[in-house]
Amino acid sequence: MSSITLTSSDGIEMSVDRTTAERSVLIKNMLDDLGDSGDAVPLPNVNEAVLKKVIEWCEHHKNDPPSASDDDDNRRKTTDIDEWDQKFMQVDQEMLFEIILAANYLDIKALLDVGCKTVANMIKGKSPEEIRKTFNIQNDFTPEEEDQIRRENEWAEDR
Amino acid sequence: MSPRENGTATSARRRPSLSFRPHPRTTTLTPISKDSACALEAFRDPFQTELCQEDHAPVVEEMDPFPNAVPRRRGAKSFSTLKHPMDGLVALGRRWSVSLRHKSSKQNFAENISADVEDQHHVPSSKHRRMASGSWDARSTKVAWQGCVNRRPSLNSVSALHGFYAPTAPVPAPIPGRGQEPPVLPNNGFSGAAARAAAAAQNEQMEITRAAKVERESNKILEMRVPQDSESGIGIDLRDRSEVPEAELYGLARLDPVALLPTEISAHILSYLNPPSLLNSELVSRAWREASSPHVWKQVFRGAYEQRPASETKTKLKQSSGLGKTILNQDWKKMFLVRRALDQRWKDGKAAAIYLQGHEDSVYCSQFDEKKIITGSRDRTIRVWDSQYPWACQKIIGPSSSRGLPRRGGPVNSPTSQATGSPPFMTITPPWPTSAEKEELSSPLDEDSLYHSASILCLQFDEEIMVTGSSDYTCIVYDIKNDYQPIRRLYGHQAGVLDVCFDDRYIVSCSKDATICVWDRHTGQLLRTLTGHLGPVNAVQLRGDLIVSASGDGVAKMWNVTTGQCVKQFLSKDKGLACVEFSDDGRTILTGGNDRIIYQFDANTGELVNELQGHAGLIRSLHLDSANKRIVSGSYDMSVKVFDRDTGNLSLNFPGWTTSWMLSVQSDYRRIVATSQDSRTVIIDFGYGLDGIELLEE
Repeated sequence: MSSITLTSSDGIEMSVDRTTAERSVLIKNMLDDLGDSGDAVPLPNVNEAVLKKVIEWCEHHKNDPPSASDDDDNRRKTTDIDEWDQKFMQVDQEMLFEIILAANYLDIKALLDVGCKTVANMIKGKSPEEIRKTFNIQNDFTPEEEDQIRRENEWAEDR
Repeated sequence: MSPRENGTATSARRRPSLSFRPHPRTTTLTPISKDSACALEAFRDPFQTELCQEDHAPVVEEMDPFPNAVPRRRGAKSFSTLKHPMDGLVALGRRWSVSLRHKSSKQNFAENISADVEDQHHVPSSKHRRMASGSWDARSTKVAWQGCVNRRPSLNSVSALHGFYAPTAPVPAPIPGRGQEPPVLPNNGFSGAAARAAAAAQNEQMEITRAAKVERESNKILEMRVPQDSESGIGIDLRDRSEVPEAELYGLARLDPVALLPTEISAHILSYLNPPSLLNSELVSRAWREASSPHVWKQVFRGAYEQRPASETKTKLKQSSGLGKTILNQDWKKMFLVRRALDQRWKDGKAAAIYLQGHEDSVYCSQFDEKKIITGSRDRTIRVWDSQYPWACQKIIGPSSSRGLPRRGGPVNSPTSQATGSPPFMTITPPWPTSAEKEELSSPLDEDSLYHSASILCLQFDEEIMVTGSSDYTCIVYDIKNDYQPIRRLYGHQAGVLDVCFDDRYIVSCSKDATICVWDRHTGQLLRTLTGHLGPVNAVQLRGDLIVSASGDGVAKMWNVTTGQCVKQFLSKDKGLACVEFSDDGRTILTGGNDRIIYQFDANTGELVNELQGHAGLIRSLHLDSANKRIVSGSYDMSVKVFDRDTGNLSLNFPGWTTSWMLSVQSDYRRIVATSQDSRTVIIDFGYGLDGIELLEE
């Protein structure tokens, strides 16, 4: 299989198997449009560190069957993540969010899903205060606003 | 979060009528004579229980049984495993993220070598800006994002993080912070291990490409006057990353995903939450509350309650799951709150009783959807009722001879026996139709030949057709879309047709003649007859290519619909079976009958998985609602009971809601419809009077 060259935002060139790179719909479309010119594909939104992670993921998943459950409904059914992806996603928050953004930009749905599920799993089951601590967020509600939302969320039938 | 807690706040919503209870009336048992005599006779022979001439299993439906994914609780762990007091860590985290954002070259430690950045410090800021305004820029209105990226080229920050992890590795004693650099605390060499491992892994990968630049790097480091202790950052920890607690992975750099990521990605993330977690996330901050949009609520609400159909063929009518309509400005969050209140009523057994009166004899069968309830009776008529207020009878299908004077009813329920279970919190008895109204509701009489000339024992409908089975040995197929006009009659059985079911290919009927007939749905042609049962076949279900039947001989059999071969047998302890349920995923088979036990079998292995106890009489009808994990049963002990599908425990008991045997039961998200030998149909409505319940209608 032929390989192609990708250029990261910081100007680093990387040679990648074409099948691997085509996990990215963006790159696939670019290659389809440009033909096999042999020119490096510029990716001005992804830096080297993130691109390496993304390529690592694509490499591991290059033989995945085309996702049968590409429609939104099925993708959202579960937050289960396979073991390899779980380990792959064990990075700091900064890198995690960079991967999500890169997956979004490069249009790699499966990687975007895995990244979003990873963040969702960091939120699940936590109290609001625990979520704030997890992501270092300031509570900017007034006590009245907070109370109002609490009441709304706890609405239940009077019995 | 318990709905009980805020009762006072919403008391105004409560309907004043909810506590109303009917005046007790004298209990009179309606005639059981013929059927019960027959049943008693049948009971004498344990292996040949014929459930009396016109006692037959119902048509039942159920939902897809895929359980919801179990929420993963990674969150709790992260806080219980912290090695430092929380405050210290939070402070640390804040300082770090602050310093990240305002990072100057001075703060880049020597570890930058180990990170993957070399030349970033020299990249002109215009380059970063271009990056930020590239295709991720969907978010340009979000100041936080812009500011963040413009000031903080992503690559730099990543490398900076790697730098930060480093000093936490082998630190034996506290090192005070210097300048803007955070203090380094002793930590058993444990914290930050994952990040170190990550960094190390990357280091390894990049070792080769980096080699050439090392010299230049070293010079740079010197210029930056790097603190000495940071040299330890090259420490490599090769432990498996999965062993590292989440707190160490995510606790170091803490960034707000909602502020950082474009709106559509935040929405994507929140869509993976379950409803309780989404409620909690709304309380995090204003931005998070905004991120919890109606679109997100729709995904989360549907994700929590929607079930995918499991079998490849359309075996069942469409039954409402209470998921509401997809319309503009639909309040999906409110729908969740209503649904939660409804589920609480199911837990508490709080339901209203609505009695449909009009049939003049036992109501053997019924099926309902959001709009209508269709019942079939020993009085030889089929009636179509509104499922909603005012629960009026819309149509009567049957021969003229059965349209006698209305029989004024006695008591609708049995308050004495209700004392042992959940009585209705309210009882509603819509008026009987007058004779004039009945005439109006009835079909024209010139086609008497296409009416059943005896009891209607079973029925099933979908959106196109209804099929009924009768003691007159035949089935009739009706066109639902064309005002219930009969399409054809199916001749083939040698005795009463006790149960019927169909999918988009076949109609399957079973009979007292001990056979099962498979018909072509579209032509009415008899395709094959399945023989093998030694007694009347009381109930039948069809899932994909498999038929499951239950017989008065005490055996349930599984058949292949295309070959007609019997594939498996499921035995009850000793007595006749009256009803059977086959889960949508084809994995579970439930049977019920004379020995008052509901048997739960694994359809693949044939193994008896559970026995559900509680009824004191023959179990006449079963319904499995897989979506809501409920098994509903109706019995000759005059009760309707609800069991938990997973545990098999009895969760609700409704004794005496009618004054005689329960003959058919079916349930959906908000109600159970049960028919009785006392000629009534009762709607056990958990949604009655619930504020906003109409939002759930599909």
